[in-house]
Amino acid sequence: MSSNKKYWKSVEELNENSSIVEALKQNEFVEEIPTDKFLGNKDALESSSTTRRDFLKYVGFSTAAATLASCEGPVIKSIPYVIQPQEIIPGVANYYATAIADGYDFASVLVKTREGRPIKIEKNSLAPTNGGANARVNASVLGLYDSLRVQNPRKEGNTVSWDALDAEVTQKLTTLKDSGKDIVLLTQTFASPSTSRLIEEFKNKYGNVQHVVYDAVSESTALDAYQAKYGERALANYDFSKAMTVVSIGADFLGDWQGGGFDSGYSKARIPNQGKMSRHIQFESNMSLTGANADKRVPLTPSQQKVALAKLYSYVVGGSVSGSLPEQIEDAVKKAASQLKKAGSDGLVVTGIQDVNAQTVALEINEYLNSKAFDKSTPILTRQGSDKDVMTLVANMKAGKVGALIMCGVNPLYTLPNASDFSEGLKNTDLSVAFSMKEDETSSESQFIAATPHYLESWGDVEFKKGHYALMQPTIRPLFNTRQFQESLLKWTGNDVSYHDYIKDTWGTSILNGSSFNQALHDGVFVASNDAETITDAKKTEVSAIKTPDAEVVEATSGDAAKALASSVKPSAFELTLYTKIGMGDGQQANNPWLQEFPDPITRTSWDNYLTVSKSDADTLGLVNTHVSNGALNGSYVNVTVNGATIKAPVIIQPGQAKGSVGLALGYGKSKGLKTEMQTGVNAYALYQGFNTIQSVTLEGAAGEHEFACVQLQNTMAGRDDIIKETTLEIFNSEDKEHWNMVPVTDYDHNEISVREKNADIWESFDTKIGPYFNLSIDLNACTGCGACVIACHSENNVPVVGKREVRKFRDMHWLRIDRYYSSADTFKQEQKDLEELGTFELYTKIENASMENPEVAFQPVMCQHCNHAPCETVCPVAAISHGRQGQNEMVYNRCVGTRYCANNCPYKVRRFNWFLYSENDEFDYYMNDDLGRMVLNPDVVVRSRGVMEKCSLCIQKTQKTILDAKRDGRVIKDGEFQTACSAACNNGAMVFGDVNIENAKINELLADDRMYHLLESVGTKPNVMYQIKVKNTTES
Amino acid sequence: MSSHYEAPFREPLIIGEKSFHDISVDVGTPIFGKASKSWWVAFSIALVAFLWGIGCIVYTVSTGIGVWGLNKTVEWAWDITNFVWWVGIGHAGTLISAVLLLFRQKWRMAVNRSAEAMTIFAVIQAGLFPIIHMGRPWLAYWVLPIPNQFGSLWVNFNSPLLWDVFAISTYLSVSLVFWWTGLLPDFAMLRDRSTKPFQKKIYTLLSFGWTGRVKDWQRFEEVSLVLAGLATPLVLSVHTIVSFDFATSVVPGWHSTIYPPYFVAGAIFSGFAMVQTLLIVMRKVCNLENYITILHIEYMNKVILLTGGIVATAYFTEFFIGWYSGSPYENYTYLSFGAATGPYWWAFWALLTCNFFVPLTLWVKKLRRNVMWTFFVALVINIGMWFERFDIIVIDLSKGRIPSGWAMFQPTFVDIGTFIGTIGFFFVLFLLYARTFPVIAQAEVKTILKSSGQRYKRLREAGTSLEGTATDERTSAAQSTKQLEAKKDDKAAKVNDLLGVLGSFDSTTQKEDDLKKVSGIGPKMEQVLNSIGIFTFIQVSKMTKKEYDLLDSITGSFPGRAERDDWSGQAKKLIN
Repeated sequence: MSSNKKYWKSVEELNENSSIVEALKQNEFVEEIPTDKFLGNKDALESSSTTRRDFLKYVGFSTAAATLASCEGPVIKSIPYVIQPQEIIPGVANYYATAIADGYDFASVLVKTREGRPIKIEKNSLAPTNGGANARVNASVLGLYDSLRVQNPRKEGNTVSWDALDAEVTQKLTTLKDSGKDIVLLTQTFASPSTSRLIEEFKNKYGNVQHVVYDAVSESTALDAYQAKYGERALANYDFSKAMTVVSIGADFLGDWQGGGFDSGYSKARIPNQGKMSRHIQFESNMSLTGANADKRVPLTPSQQKVALAKLYSYVVGGSVSGSLPEQIEDAVKKAASQLKKAGSDGLVVTGIQDVNAQTVALEINEYLNSKAFDKSTPILTRQGSDKDVMTLVANMKAGKVGALIMCGVNPLYTLPNASDFSEGLKNTDLSVAFSMKEDETSSESQFIAATPHYLESWGDVEFKKGHYALMQPTIRPLFNTRQFQESLLKWTGNDVSYHDYIKDTWGTSILNGSSFNQALHDGVFVASNDAETITDAKKTEVSAIKTPDAEVVEATSGDAAKALASSVKPSAFELTLYTKIGMGDGQQANNPWLQEFPDPITRTSWDNYLTVSKSDADTLGLVNTHVSNGALNGSYVNVTVNGATIKAPVIIQPGQAKGSVGLALGYGKSKGLKTEMQTGVNAYALYQGFNTIQSVTLEGAAGEHEFACVQLQNTMAGRDDIIKETTLEIFNSEDKEHWNMVPVTDYDHNEISVREKNADIWESFDTKIGPYFNLSIDLNACTGCGACVIACHSENNVPVVGKREVRKFRDMHWLRIDRYYSSADTFKQEQKDLEELGTFELYTKIENASMENPEVAFQPVMCQHCNHAPCETVCPVAAISHGRQGQNEMVYNRCVGTRYCANNCPYKVRRFNWFLYSENDEFDYYMNDDLGRMVLNPDVVVRSRGVMEKCSLCIQKTQKTILDAKRDGRVIKDGEFQTACSAACNNGAMVFGDVNIENAKINELLADDRMYHLLESVGTKPNVMYQIKVKNTTES
Repeated sequence: MSSHYEAPFREPLIIGEKSFHDISVDVGTPIFGKASKSWWVAFSIALVAFLWGIGCIVYTVSTGIGVWGLNKTVEWAWDITNFVWWVGIGHAGTLISAVLLLFRQKWRMAVNRSAEAMTIFAVIQAGLFPIIHMGRPWLAYWVLPIPNQFGSLWVNFNSPLLWDVFAISTYLSVSLVFWWTGLLPDFAMLRDRSTKPFQKKIYTLLSFGWTGRVKDWQRFEEVSLVLAGLATPLVLSVHTIVSFDFATSVVPGWHSTIYPPYFVAGAIFSGFAMVQTLLIVMRKVCNLENYITILHIEYMNKVILLTGGIVATAYFTEFFIGWYSGSPYENYTYLSFGAATGPYWWAFWALLTCNFFVPLTLWVKKLRRNVMWTFFVALVINIGMWFERFDIIVIDLSKGRIPSGWAMFQPTFVDIGTFIGTIGFFFVLFLLYARTFPVIAQAEVKTILKSSGQRYKRLREAGTSLEGTATDERTSAAQSTKQLEAKKDDKAAKVNDLLGVLGSFDSTTQKEDDLKKVSGIGPKMEQVLNSIGIFTFIQVSKMTKKEYDLLDSITGSFPGRAERDDWSGQAKKLIN
């Protein structure tokens, strides 16, 4: 914007005829400077009487002045652009839409870049599907700057050029063409139309090419079941927002079940709307995130799950099955069945049992119910792996039938249970090329490592679900000498086009159907238009029409599926359920310190995986968890044996774990391609035999004690009712809000008054009416505890990683944490009642220890509450924390001397102290100590030095940017424009941030909501963060 | 001060046959003599501890507070515990020197110098902690309201920590001035007695040109009174303000209106315990048993009993109110059932045992006057008071309002080393003080020597004139005793002469008369006469001019009075 403003320098300018103004136009000074007088007369100068002393004074002064002037801080040179790229304005972020498709996580995302560096991943709100970024996706940006990335193509440990690699590989492939040996592409699931086409071309060129798709965490059974029933190798797509009664049998659908991403739909149905919310019944053995959110959770072993599913089928659909269940579970299954029947098409059944029959049964029940949530037109394509193919491949390799093995996105030597077989086979393979970003277990054993770029440096396309496409574009030039898999395939097939052009071509011919590629690239997503969809639908109907008899056959045999399922149950002493953690997934991001330090939402333990054991089993086996005197957690070790494979794992006694079952997370125990600090946990893939997450195991106590890094050791709320408030739908619908959302009272003039009244307040309140005034609302019903916000906050605010040793000392730096509480009794209500009825001299253990059987679980994200009467503000001796006009408590890092009084006085315990220098310190070898890792830092947020307190700022840098943008554009800020990193990252609508001074803003609605309450309201801190009471649908019918 | 009268039945405050000169000699001995071996041993240990502490502090400042055992929940632990503990110890000095001065408690004079020294050294230790516990101690000066060019950059007057800065610095400076003022005449005495030129020069400088003129003394006493007046409120205010660090917060267990008086009592309690600990050792090592007597120890034990009682009352009040409130947040405060049975049960019981049960034994007079037991109790109280602060800080913080943040604290070697370092530093200072400073306020003690000294008390009791007794000629105690014996013999002879004339009183056959009926004989004179052996009117009636003179020379009081009042005449009348 150009400006015609004229800045005046003096009042003299008002006088048009002023001689001074005129003079100043010509000369710098109004009057001539009498330099001649001073220097002109040489003779006078010679005879000038500068004495020796004066001379020395001048010399002395000028030397001192020159010396002082040269005292500057170290100069850091930056090189300016010779030609500045048009789109890059220093200090202004650019956003690019792209997609992640690493074989495990598939999402359409927005990448924030600053000065050409991608620094943050955000969800792509334009994406109708898979637009949500989970914790891992949020953290994936750090992988770009991983200092252990392979920077060049390598051959047997030595750097080679791409040309040399190409020459050798193509030569080898050509010789293999006629040798009768197979060329095998062993890849992750790409779900990419262009890659599929490319592989087809590659197959055509070399003939004997096999493409084996391998998912480290397999969904093969579900794919098989779906394929058998619907003829497509895909996964059923469920829209949980349409399911009012959800019965899940062992499906952690809020976690990574069948690709994940179901949580936002689920949360939509969980917010009570006109007295209605969904009802969720969970049957499971491990305490999963899903079970923790359920209205009713039934713990049972995996084999009981099978019977329960079969029985559920028989109760809902009909028929009878064998097998028996304990009375309580039987009853729960019956009730679930009756609720499902009542719900009809509002019902939904999902299962995570890795058994084709089980998956078939679930599909059949949904079919029978005609479930509205089951969207058959858009099956999920993000898992394609086939267990059978992988096993065949391993056998072939061992037999020496495989001539060339080209791998991409897989790490079988780490993820295969029979890794030694694969390793043997690899040695029998003539050519092995691993496309990898790391020198990991597999790539380091392969002949060639083809260094691949990070997805933020790559082109690509994805079809998440049928008809739902996304484009992947580079957001930065490749940092290293890398080349992506597809680019190499193009080269090896002798195709000269770049992959970018290839994608464009693919899309132009078969996807876009006339739409603009640039628009699709801009949006990052493309949904096949209605026409296309109808075509697909038509095709579909055709298919299903053809398939109908088939399907009936399946159905006819499917009563059998239930029967077969029930009869397949083999009882064993202990059943292990392998699961994935929301923070680590299948383990490919194990070298990501953000994810390592991310506390598991359930156990709140970071930097580890562990065997979860029920209390009664732990007692039988003599396993213990102990708190050491600084409050850290220690646990016994146990040897876990599956079919002869034994691993020694530490134990966490998990409340709610079904008796006779144990759980262990995959994705840990990686040993190559990652820093020593990141080599945590045990490799559970060794027990993942037959790609089945359920294994029967034997357990045996082992010597030693494991040190955990757990960020929360007190697991209950100790009967306190001011922290997480909860009620049931029944009470919520039938009683006044005073009954279920009581405002604390205080004494005033011998009367009880609400703490919200003016008289309860001894402080003057701030003027909140000028400019924006921010509030943040957190809906405990919508929050599933997934932790995407935690990582988003980490990434936005340069929150340091402190490492396992420090976390163990209770010094994690998370500005935003998600507290998880178990009830000490069966419910939180009972726990509060227990406390009230506790005798004077009765021990508090009753309310302090979580119920081990089946506790109620609740999550609560807690960040700085930005109190209007902030206890931290009054106690700082140097006023380093003060209240801002926009509602924030503003922490002034530069002013902080680090007395830590504020943190002591904070009732919410959200302040974090920099105990050490976490950046540029090799004691903390995570990412802030190398130049590459530091590229991820957000330049808008200062990196705190040691000795200062830090905390959530409500992303003041983001709100300020919004204000300045609006100011520059001269417009009014609309509701929804203001976002914090956490509210922007929340896929479930649990966090709403906004300006209360915008009329009709959503935040005002929430502020006035009946469910609104403040954390620890009785303290009188008047926070600007509010919570919405948790409502549970406990109605049994 | 010299107008002091002390009732005869009071125990003497200075025992042994001390003369004024003896006091000068005794006070000067540790300074002019050579250090004993035990001093060197003690000093070496203290120095090593001090250097270790310096090492820990350097490590902390150069690496970060993370080398301590603190965490995101318990952000203060040993640092502030030690701070409050040392400040508390520093309270006895001012109480003894200022409050007891105003209350004219003469027994303070033997202990005040060392108590004040202890105060100053303790406050120095205390002052260290708020600085080193900062995340960025090099910016510690930011807590001072120093004018700067940033305009609005100013300290936060709402913060109790800022009040602490003022309280501690005021306390240190007033204590130091008060201490120094009292030292002036004593430094002058050392200056006068010193024979080494360098030493003389130092003490000349330190004594600020004290000459001992009357004007000097007058001003000295005036300044002492003014400073006492200034320091007295500080006794109450400093720990009140320290308690505000906790009381004004919103932490359950800290937020308590009882804190200011409770903290002040606790501070005096711990301060006296520390004085006991130090003086019991010092009186032995420096041969000061004659100045710091069992009586002093008992007096201090009584103060400990009183303040300990207040503290115990506060404990029970805290416990009761916490329970009575019914608030679940009060379930785990440092004095609660939750603390007693929780993970910090040992700290809870250590507090009660050390500060409540053990000091109760001082109610027994025998134990109160037992040096070894007192020493033990004082040590236990020192430990107990440390636990009190530890409990308040760590137990209260460890179980705050949000249970997810509950955590415990474990000290690292740096925490422990820093604390030991300050103890070392304290003893380094104290041991150096004991070798270079007059450890007894000799000028003040001399003012009460005649009224409270054992020797003078005895002389007075014996009715001997004190005239001339103060100006002995470089005598030792043994010689003066002999002279006294001689005088005593002399007196006995006169009594014999007198009774030879008047006739002795036989209680078996005769009856005592009420001599007070004789006008001029009061109850006191009656006692005097009785002590000589005069009980009856008959004896009195026999007195003539010669006997009157003899009587006057024995009693030394009211010469010529008996003659004027004509006691014998009156007695004769009374016989009839």
